Amino acid sequence: MENWDKLSKMPYREIKDMQDRKLRAFIANQIYLYSPYYSALLKEHKIDPFKVKGIDDLRHLPFTYKWDIAPTDEEPQKAKDFIIRPDEEVTEKYGHLAKMSMTGGKAMVEERVSDFKPVHIHFTTGRTALPTPFVYSKRDLDNLRESGSRLLDVFQVTSDDVVVNCFPFAPHLAFWQTFFAGEKANVAGFHSGGGKIVGTNNLMDAFEYLRPTVAVFIPGYCYYFLREAVKQGRDFSSIKKIFFGGERVPPGLKEKIKELFTQLGAENVMVLATYGMTEAKVAWPECPSHDEYHGYHLYPDMEIFETVEPESGEPVGEGEEGEIVYTALDWRGTVVLRYRTGDIAKGGLLLEPCPNCGRTVPRISSNIQRKSELKEFNMTKVKGTLVNLNNFFPLMMSHPDIEEWQVEMRKRNNDPFDLDEIYLYLATKGDIDRDKLVSDIKQKVLRDTEVSLTDFIFKSVPELVSQLGMETELKEKRILDNRPG
Amino acid sequence: MQAWNKISRMPAPAIKKMQDELLHKMINEELAVRHPYYRDLFKEHNIDPAEIKGVEDLSKLPFTEKKDLLLPEDNPLYPKQFVLEVPAEDEQKPKKKGFALFGKKETGPDPSDYRFFSLYFTAGRTAKPVPMEYTHYDLDNLREAGLRAFDILEITRDDTLINAFTYAPNAYFWQMFYSTIGIGSTALQTGGGKVIGLEKILKAMDSMEAPVLAIAPGYGRFALHTLDHFGFSAQNLERVVIGIDYSPMEAVDSIRKLMESVGAKDNKVQRIYFNSEAKSGWAECAPDYGYHTNPDHILVEIVDPLSGEVLGEGEMGEVVVTHLDTRGTVLLRCKTGDIATGGLTTEPCPNCKRTVPRIMGDIERKEMIYDLQGKEGIIKFNGNHLRKKMYAREDVLLWYTEINQNGSEDVLKIVAKGVSGTDEGALFKSLEEELKAELNLTLTVEGSTLDAVANKIGLEKYITEQVIFDNRKS
Repeated sequence: MENWDKLSKMPYREIKDMQDRKLRAFIANQIYLYSPYYSALLKEHKIDPFKVKGIDDLRHLPFTYKWDIAPTDEEPQKAKDFIIRPDEEVTEKYGHLAKMSMTGGKAMVEERVSDFKPVHIHFTTGRTALPTPFVYSKRDLDNLRESGSRLLDVFQVTSDDVVVNCFPFAPHLAFWQTFFAGEKANVAGFHSGGGKIVGTNNLMDAFEYLRPTVAVFIPGYCYYFLREAVKQGRDFSSIKKIFFGGERVPPGLKEKIKELFTQLGAENVMVLATYGMTEAKVAWPECPSHDEYHGYHLYPDMEIFETVEPESGEPVGEGEEGEIVYTALDWRGTVVLRYRTGDIAKGGLLLEPCPNCGRTVPRISSNIQRKSELKEFNMTKVKGTLVNLNNFFPLMMSHPDIEEWQVEMRKRNNDPFDLDEIYLYLATKGDIDRDKLVSDIKQKVLRDTEVSLTDFIFKSVPELVSQLGMETELKEKRILDNRPG
Repeated sequence: MQAWNKISRMPAPAIKKMQDELLHKMINEELAVRHPYYRDLFKEHNIDPAEIKGVEDLSKLPFTEKKDLLLPEDNPLYPKQFVLEVPAEDEQKPKKKGFALFGKKETGPDPSDYRFFSLYFTAGRTAKPVPMEYTHYDLDNLREAGLRAFDILEITRDDTLINAFTYAPNAYFWQMFYSTIGIGSTALQTGGGKVIGLEKILKAMDSMEAPVLAIAPGYGRFALHTLDHFGFSAQNLERVVIGIDYSPMEAVDSIRKLMESVGAKDNKVQRIYFNSEAKSGWAECAPDYGYHTNPDHILVEIVDPLSGEVLGEGEMGEVVVTHLDTRGTVLLRCKTGDIATGGLTTEPCPNCKRTVPRIMGDIERKEMIYDLQGKEGIIKFNGNHLRKKMYAREDVLLWYTEINQNGSEDVLKIVAKGVSGTDEGALFKSLEEELKAELNLTLTVEGSTLDAVANKIGLEKYITEQVIFDNRKS
């Protein structure tokens, strides 16, 4: 891994040369030799690993899809084939070398163990498939730590800061990325495990006890947590920055969060976002800015990003909308190449230096939509309307009259062959004109998602908070798909 | 902390001498100088810190109890009274030039050892959890304690481990994490059933072919009982490490038998005693050989829970801990509420020969001992013993008891769920007769559904299961 200071000032031409060099070595020395899945794939497609000269040759490799790696009931161990691991023959050879060496044998074995032996595991959240394990070797954990310290560097979080990590504890990337970031960057903190683990009131106590400068949250829970804190008259005046993971932060929600912090005594809190995926084993920081979006800064020595046209798989140009395709660079443990993330970068991949901070590393645009949240609906006699559930988030989260919301999908008459229905549960802010709100939401939902809502169900805030599982679920249940069959 | 190889072979007198020195240093160079609570306490009680020369002088100092640590509602920052202040830069003596030929030169306290880095909480079983601050210095100690515990347990990096201890921001979980990372074993930090659910834990154990499972005893027992239901195998399982909750020998035996019955590769069960107030946990080399403490880190006393009198070797009493080498939150003579049924011994371990002091027997919780109004007067009801008994019953899957008031009398209502295939009617009848005879209390035993009992005890909701509900308080 490269020096981040140097890397973030390197002209793109040099970054590309470095990526070419690293990719060549990675394919020839690791993937081809030690990745069971990809070595078989290369053979099957008659790809000579030594002819992959650089990132321009990546397109000769087939894509990897979620279903290629996700375990199934028939093949529960599928993901193991994606782990970089020297086979027994190689292990034996190195073991023999180690025994033979009078001077460096032990060190050589240790180095190999550090490189390859899995020591830590994360799982995908399994929204669209069974949870898939992604393993880290010690070497990979160093990468995870380094990526975390880069993330904090972009966010200008230093060892003078104190962080409260409110990501739900789970063997997932978000919690652990934050933990390892703090460890590497020497930033003190409290890794609470979130409201489900410690309880919302205890978490508030911890804020008042520690007086943190930085808080890390999932947006939906944060909004709930801050509202509760305001109700209790808590003092969170120490907070300077907050960063989110797990989902997109629409501008309206940023404003609501800032406003709540103001009520808690913290002025002008900087709201920051991260983009991460289990498959890439790291998260990336959005360049900090109060009102503009400059994209997420990538780590070009750890990965290659491509953007492709979702249907044809053809690469799209710089800055053009496309699906994010991820290729690991110089990792061990679980490794994927040309992985179709399903996430659409609306503003594409950006190679120009960042106009905000001047860093030269590639950026992916801030507006990313998750494909897994696209659902097929039979709303009318015309089958197969694709509804982008992403669009509910900015609309509802930003709406000034809405405190909490939930979308429930059902089948008419609970008949799997009947039409789909979409119900919207709402808890409003104080006394408002419900008819006016319903008409406003109806119109906006139709505009943004091209569907008509079946009905609106009003609930009290506590009722809806409980229905969302705000204190009981790892992540609140914002969209419920209760369609039978 | 010092070299484990050396410490674990040191004769008892040498350990005592080391502890005398560490205690004197801790009190005079740390607590009297930069500990807000104890500095004031010494003044208030006219205690001259210089007079605390060693372990024998400890009894001159008052105990610290949970209530002393607890956060008053109006002052959330109160627990900081127990945190060492960061020394001023000018306290550091300038480093001497030249080679340190005769060991490390004294340079005074290093402020970086004292700066806050991580916050954990006590378990909070009986009261509000107390924040415990850890510095880098303390985390190094926690890592070292973890490595020592693994050395005692003989867990190596070749052992794949499923950490199913419930996640909480406490020393229990993090010691296990640092231990696995430290030795470089393949480990899955599940966060326990509360986080990922039992099915996923068992699936991971099966698919990762893990030989080691770390789990709370009640949940571990339940997991082994339900293995078949989920269709997973334990054929690679060699040992279960239990802790974070009451782990009597009956729990060890019960899990051992279950491991045999589910076809585990081996049936080793080992125990760890985690102690939040000690900021770390101690392991047993083999069940019933005692928890091997770290005498260079924590001084353990066993005292009479009521009178506070220090008890002799092997006498049952309350575990009291004094920090000898910590930063962040520092406690002196802290009464933990844990009762060591076998007391403390300074004899070398007959099993592993390590010479460190060992806490013997089972660790019972003081608050689980109740004075109940029986028909003919007050009866001492030890909830720990009821738990022990239930572990010994192979036919009981899950259970809890309520203490209720019936007129002037306190009565027990025990609700249980039998293991699959048990004649529950016969089970409840025999259990009721047995407990009536033993406890001399009015009690009933009745059945309930698995879900109802599991929900009531918080099997996948709390850090550890809650099996005794004292309804008299409400």
